[in-house]
Order: sequence, then structure tokens, then C-alpha cells
Amino acid sequence: MKIVAAQLFALRIPFVEAFAHSVRSRTYSDSIVVRLEAEDGTVGYGEGVARPYVTGETVSSCLSFMQAVLWPAVQQIDYARPAGGLTDGINWLDEIVESLPQAWPDGPKNDSVIAWNAAVAGWELALVDCLLKSAGKSLGEVLPPQRPTVTYSGVITASDVTQAVKMAKRFKQLGISHVKVKVTGEGDRERVAAIRDVVGPAVSLRLDGNGAYTVDSAIATCQVLSDLAIDSAEQMLPRDPLAALAAVQAAAPISQMADESLITFADAKALIAANACGWFNLRISKCGGLAQTIRLARLAQTYGIRVQLGCQVGETAILSAAGRHLAAWLPNVEFVEGSYGKLLLSQDISRQPIHFGYGGKAPVLTRPGLGMAVQDDLLATYAHKAVSLEAIAC
Amino acid sequence: MTIRTQIECQYAAQTQALIDADVFQQLITGRLSLEEIDQFVANLCQTHLKSSQILAFLYSVAPPASAARIQHNMLEEMGLDDEGICHSDLLQQLAIAIGFDAQQREALHAGAQNRIKTLCNDPLMFGTIRELGLLVLLEVTCFEWMLSRVSSRMAKALEVYRKLPADCLQWFYHHSEVDVRHAEEGLDSVVDYISYYEIEADELETILDITFRENIFIKHYFGALALAQETNMLEVAV
Repeated sequence: MKIVAAQLFALRIPFVEAFAHSVRSRTYSDSIVVRLEAEDGTVGYGEGVARPYVTGETVSSCLSFMQAVLWPAVQQIDYARPAGGLTDGINWLDEIVESLPQAWPDGPKNDSVIAWNAAVAGWELALVDCLLKSAGKSLGEVLPPQRPTVTYSGVITASDVTQAVKMAKRFKQLGISHVKVKVTGEGDRERVAAIRDVVGPAVSLRLDGNGAYTVDSAIATCQVLSDLAIDSAEQMLPRDPLAALAAVQAAAPISQMADESLITFADAKALIAANACGWFNLRISKCGGLAQTIRLARLAQTYGIRVQLGCQVGETAILSAAGRHLAAWLPNVEFVEGSYGKLLLSQDISRQPIHFGYGGKAPVLTRPGLGMAVQDDLLATYAHKAVSLEAIAC
Repeated sequence: MTIRTQIECQYAAQTQALIDADVFQQLITGRLSLEEIDQFVANLCQTHLKSSQILAFLYSVAPPASAARIQHNMLEEMGLDDEGICHSDLLQQLAIAIGFDAQQREALHAGAQNRIKTLCNDPLMFGTIRELGLLVLLEVTCFEWMLSRVSSRMAKALEVYRKLPADCLQWFYHHSEVDVRHAEEGLDSVVDYISYYEIEADELETILDITFRENIFIKHYFGALALAQETNMLEVAV
């Protein structure tokens, strides 16, 4: 199956309310949606979210990489439709991602890019969606769900105690049983204790520092919060260096979760070798798509690293749908984030709502492809930049 | 602060935000293009064309003390009360007056129906129907509260700047006159609902937060992008 046309949409979808963490506050989604058309007319959609402080990609550089590197490569491939059976299905996903170049040797010098993972994820998902739809199959047939529903976490953003308590009450009333708290180093004890008081002992609490701490302050913060039954502390330090992460993991009473420190497979191996964390936060866009995320999850399982399947703030239904399939299939995922849809976005782009419901629960998706239908008119409405790519005649 | 006052404050804030919005000021001062005015009318029609079905849902969950009142509102909306004015017919007249052809009017009905479908397809965020009922009741009565204070200004703008005859603007005038009473009764219904279903203060606060996280009027009448302009949600971070 050849891909004959592609469109890229750099979106700006406003949020219902601002989402803040220690690095920045976001008020809109800045996803890039990839729309691919196969020779049989089937259309598939993928999504990548460029984050300069995560993979080093920007929306602009991501679009350039997609046009200059990914599109010429994809046009050359006659893609196989998905095969039956789990092993064959994983191999099929591997073949797709291996068809996508991961580097830009002749491109502009860009030392800040760690990996073109958001760009690759966007194209991998679009190919997967397109090829599965063409075959009339759901991604759930490639990755058979191990559980009927997925349980999502709520996130309490960086805010004062009053606002944090208000959000905690909201989550309690919505039956959310897993909550992640953004911490900043300012008044953490008071905020997290107040949240624990509201949600009670049965709710799981995790921390996310977004790299705002030093080794000493990360250890001290974990010590001062350790009596509040915290399950993990995500990315307290900036991405580098590894030895610092290992020092915190060794000394802190709360197990550390690697997020920005975990972009590539080499990162994962280095983190394991250094005993630098007890958890991986895997995110499909950050990790370069389904296949590469699965590889990381399998590596984690081999070495006893616990797994959270995270998300991109402001992701649309496309990444949420892919995350739903992965979360339902992965054997070793303990916490899941994402599928916020209209809970965060003023309008999502799928025809059917994708967001979770009471208790953070959402069912597995069974429709062909990734399992959701994108509304093209909304892509046009919310795109601040759209690029059409046609096949080059051979 | 009483529950009634707490809720009315939210309605007043929502209404004031609409009145203060650039896009609303542009409407009532004739600074919207004809296409933008027509889009406003289309959005308004889609918002209210299926109100009787929404009221039927509210009637089905209404506590005994307010059931008769909500039933009357529903019958009034359908033109089955003594006055016999079907509100969706008034919207239909408005759509015809503005020049929407049969296909466009059909699309308005489909759009309105789609809003009901979306409401039904949306995963329920709450554990029971009682919270959803309150959320819908708050939204409906907030619209009534706003319309009783603002709808004649919308009608005047359409009359002056879109040159629509007054008899095609009856939907606005009807709501302006009738909804002063409806708005007060609506608040009674909300208070009654909260009492009957024993909704606690924290629950009410959460439901109010979720219902009014965005300005429901700007979003329904002018769209999500117009709302984002008002709230600076699309400003690019420096």
C-alpha cells in the first residue's frame, strides 16, 4: 500500500483553563496532526507534540523534518497491511517505524534536538491508522487488550493551596483514584498534605517536579513528603546528569520516575545501568511512537522498572486513542495519563468523545484504525499552519 | 451567602462576561459583518432549537416541588400551553427571515440534534444522573437568566444592522418578556433540586465549576475561537 498524499496541520486549540507546571503554563494545544492518504483512498491520522525542553523539537523544526525527511522516505515504501497474531503485529509495527528515518544528516545544524521522536510518532501513528483502516482492523487486534477499561489519573497543576484543595475535591467527587501533583519547591509540604487530607488514604498520589529541583532539594522534598504515602516522584531534576538522578534515587525515600531523562532507548539503558530510577514515564510522542514505546516498556519489564504511560498536555483524541490501546495492552503499566479531551480542550477533533468518565475510567476502543474519526473541518478551523504534500512522480 | 445567591452570582458573572465581550459589543453596535451576524444567528438557532427535549430530560429528573413548573416550561417551549407559541417555530421564522434556505435550515436542525447526541455520547463524569441533571438545569436556567436581560439587545441589533423585521424577532422578545419570570422560577427550581437530591456544598461547588469553567454564552453563540480571543487563551507565550 503506497501513501500518495500527506497534509500537516499545526494546531492551536484553546484550553478550557490554563495548565501550569514548574516550567511553564499552557493555554492551548500545539499538536501537529499528520493526515495521510493511501492509494486506495483510505485516510489515516497521526499526532506528534513537539516540546523543546523534552526532545528538543519545536513545532517549526518538526514540520521541516516531516517535509524534508519523512515524506520523501514514506513515499518510497509499499507498506504491508497488518498481519494476524501478536508477534506478527509487533513486527508489523516495528517495520513501520523502521521505514521512518530518525535522523537528518543533511539538515540544518540543530544541536538541541535529542531525537525527532514527536515527528516520527506523528507519522508512525498516521501510517498505523491508515493501514489498519484499509484492512478494516482495529489496533486492538494487533495489541489485544488485557483489560476492558483503562483507569486514568487526574493532575493537579502548579497552584496555591486553595486551588489545589479545590482540584482535589473535584477529583474526589469525580471518583478519580490516581492523582499526580505538580510540585515546584514552593510550599510543597503544605500543598501535598492538604491534598492528601481531601482525597483520603485510598487514593494514590504521585509527584511531578518537571526538573525544578537540585539533588539536595529533591532529596529533602521527598523526605519531608514521605509520610504522605507518595508512590513516585517524577523528574525532580533536569534531564542531566545521570549521576545526579542516581544520587536522588539512592537517597530519597520516594522512588524516582524518569521522564525528560528518558527519550531514547540508549537513555533507558543508561538509566537502568546507573540505578537512576525505579519508574519510567513512557509517552508515545516523546518516545517516538507505538513501536519504540513498546520496546521501552519491554526493557522496563525485563529489569523490574515500573511503568507509567504518560501523555502530552493538550494532546488531541489521536494520541489519546493510541495511548488507550497501549494502556489496555501493556502488561506492566500501573498509572495512565491522558484522554482529557474536552476536559482540557475547548473542542477535541474527534467525532466521538475520547475523554474518560467517572472514576477516570474509559473503555477500550474497537473501531478500525486507532479507533476514532477525525473531523477534517476542525483541523482546518484550528490550524495556524497547514502544509499539503503531494507524491513526487517517479 | 445563600445557595440561591451563590448561583445567581454565577449567572450574573456569566452574563456580564457576555455583555463585556468584544464580539458581543461588535454585534450590538453593528461592527460584525453580515456573514458574522448570520453565523451568530445560526449558532443561536442550534443552541435553542431542541430546548424542549432538554426540558423533557429536566422534567424527568425534576423533584416533586418543581416538576409542574418544568413541565409547564417544556409545554410552553413546544407551544402546547395556553399561548400556543412554539419556540422552535419562532427560531424557524428567524432563520427564514435571515435568508437561510431549506438546506441550511435542515443543517441547523441537524446541528441542534447533534448537540443532543454529543451530550448523550459524552462519558459521564459523575457517579449518578443527579449531578448531570443539576449541570443541565444550571445551564438551562442560566440561559433563561441571561436572555431575560440581554435578548432584546440582540433583537435590536438584528433589526437595525441586519434589517430584519421586528415580527421575525419574536423569539428574542418573547424570551425577554417571559423569561424574567422564568429566570426567577429557574433559580427556585435549582434550589429545590439541590435540596431534594441532598447535594452538598462541595458537590455544588464542583458542579458549578465544571458547568461554568467557560463562558457558555460566548462559546455557544460565537464559537470556541471567539471565546479564546476573549480569554487570551491563544496568546503565544513569549
